[in-house]
Amino acid sequence: MKIKNFIIVLICIIILTGCAESRILERISITTLLGYDLEEENKVTTTVTVRQVSPDDKSSVETQTNTEDTSFGTRIKVDLQTAKKVMAGQLRVILVGNELAKSGIEQPLQRNMMNSEISNSIYFAIADGTAKEIIEGEYEHITDIGQHVYNLIHHNVESQHSVSPTLHEIVRNDYSPFRDNAIPIIKKNDQVISIKGLALFQKSKMVGELSSTDTFYVIMLRDKFESGALELTLPGNTLSSTQDKDNKLEVGINSIRSNRSLKLVDASTIEFDINVEIKCRLVELHSNENTGEPEVTKKLEKAIAAEIEKELARVIKITQEKNSDIFGFGDVYHASVRHSGLTEEKWYEMYPNAKMNPKVKVEILRNGIFE
Amino acid sequence: MKNTIYVGNTQQFNAFLLFYIVVAAQIGVGIHGFQRVLYEDAKQDAWISLVLSFVFAHIVVTVMMKTLDMFESNDLYGIHLDIFGKYFGTTLNCIYCLYPLFAFIAIVINYIEVINTWVFPYLSPNFLCLTILIITIYAFTGGLRIIVGLCFFSFFFILWIPPILIIPLKYSDWNFLLPILDNELKDIAKGVLSMTFTIIGFEIINVIYPFVKEKDKYKRYVHLGLLFTFLLYLAILLISLTFFSGGQLSKTIWATLTLFSIIRLPFIERVEIITICVWLIIILPNLCLFMWSAYRGIIRMKVISPVKFSVFFAIIIFIANILFYKRSTINIYDKYYGRVAFFIVFIYPFILFLLAWIKKKFRKIKTAGEHNNEN
Repeated sequence: MKIKNFIIVLICIIILTGCAESRILERISITTLLGYDLEEENKVTTTVTVRQVSPDDKSSVETQTNTEDTSFGTRIKVDLQTAKKVMAGQLRVILVGNELAKSGIEQPLQRNMMNSEISNSIYFAIADGTAKEIIEGEYEHITDIGQHVYNLIHHNVESQHSVSPTLHEIVRNDYSPFRDNAIPIIKKNDQVISIKGLALFQKSKMVGELSSTDTFYVIMLRDKFESGALELTLPGNTLSSTQDKDNKLEVGINSIRSNRSLKLVDASTIEFDINVEIKCRLVELHSNENTGEPEVTKKLEKAIAAEIEKELARVIKITQEKNSDIFGFGDVYHASVRHSGLTEEKWYEMYPNAKMNPKVKVEILRNGIFE
Repeated sequence: MKNTIYVGNTQQFNAFLLFYIVVAAQIGVGIHGFQRVLYEDAKQDAWISLVLSFVFAHIVVTVMMKTLDMFESNDLYGIHLDIFGKYFGTTLNCIYCLYPLFAFIAIVINYIEVINTWVFPYLSPNFLCLTILIITIYAFTGGLRIIVGLCFFSFFFILWIPPILIIPLKYSDWNFLLPILDNELKDIAKGVLSMTFTIIGFEIINVIYPFVKEKDKYKRYVHLGLLFTFLLYLAILLISLTFFSGGQLSKTIWATLTLFSIIRLPFIERVEIITICVWLIIILPNLCLFMWSAYRGIIRMKVISPVKFSVFFAIIIFIANILFYKRSTINIYDKYYGRVAFFIVFIYPFILFLLAWIKKKFRKIKTAGEHNNEN
């Protein structure tokens, strides 16, 4: 008797749990990619890719565009145009058009953070041109543009070719007074979609761009490397003095592990020491020198360090010119000076004049199997 | 001493279970969003407020236990009757019975609000309230030993939280904690005050004391229980403070749940949805303990069966749930409830201890005097 009761209760529990607001995959459509663009009169155009799963057919992907005052207004309009209810829970990437990014990303961020359907581990990227262009483009080899853009960003973030742009990090930097955002730019080039570089932000407005090769240095300063790769051009006389200086010596290094520390050395003149330690593997060297010898390695290490220092200084200079503190120097300043009374405005006045001393230490751990 | 309750051996439980009871009573709905309130007061020094509030809690608990030890096997209601006499004591008991009721309401409406916002936006709050009440009544009527068992059981549903916090650690920036002690002491003290809603629950020992078997060594388990919640809260708070930037944290309503939403496991996309559902098991002993604590007070005034009592209690909760159905009203309720709870849990034990102590001295003199007269 007891077991009978137990089984009845168990069956009830299992069956009844399905009754509360069921969302059956075949009866809904899923948005995977969302794009916002600025339109005239401060209206925002929203473009979405909608994926519909049907039991008998292959799943289909279509795009919808609408212009409304709020993104929710657009969602209602989109609902009117699709046969199945649109759900945003599987949203993977939010794209924001160039124009909208220049006028401020605060609104699109806030509306997505308010919605509990959307996880904050999704990606947020800037579109070169308009987001609509990328989403609605015709691609021969890409079936699901949403998934494609997600994978593009995801694998590049994993292999540290790009700054990680999760919604959480973007919102965090946006609401942090002493730190600015650097968000990857997605570009459509005919049939190919690629990451073009980084968009620099001041507060929540886009103020400039960095190229994709500079991204390496941005990551080096913001975070630590677990696995990076870099190609450098060194002066020709690095290894042998017989060579002319103008000859170039190309070097490729990978398996880079780096660690950085930012330190405020002088609070009055605002001077920062940036120490970067790099451990790497040599994979390419266009020279006949024997890299097994300690002297050669030492020379090479020094030359690489000098080159990276130069590049770091250059990248920092660009951000200072644009007045966009993407490395969080402001946070370091705020953290190391007691009762500083630092405000966002004050920091924006101080940052362009701050002095940075990048110091790089390179260690080549090993080279390939052939010297 | 009068008003002592006799508790049979079969009704008592071992002292070490107090550890689970204290942990279960403390961890409720407050843990979902305490970071934000704390941050608004104490900024990056919020964790200092947390440490201070737990130090305070340890002191309060010691005072509570000292008071209880003065009266052999008695709970707070009996102590009231003993100190204040029948009429004033009963009045105080009546007031004190309302406290678990308010606590119960606070848990239910906050939990329903979380479910409605995160999981089922269209599900009626009244339906959810009814479901929670039915399961609470079911567990409550099982008796104290069932409730204690539930506390033990729910403890293991909390244990999975610390390991999962490692994943958000990846996004942490420890610079957000610096400079330490950059805020005024007044703000940090304010933070202690705002912690009340999250930290309370341990006052259950006032009522549960007569049911503990080994009265000589129960104290260490209460302190251990407080220590466990302290470590859990501290871990969550430190990770939240470094995970979110200041401006972001003051806009995040349930920081713990938002923290969990970044976690993406291969088999579960949204961990926080599971967390919210599992939380029912974590708040269930909480609810049962509060209901039981009110029942112990009522039974001093009028003998009533647990079933009748729980139905009556449930009706009040249901009505309250209908009244507080909006975020804004819930926020107001939480604020005032926090203040009242601060007085009852953190201030009142000191007053009670003082009165009990005076009464004891007085009684000693009196009995000594009687002795002298006899001689």
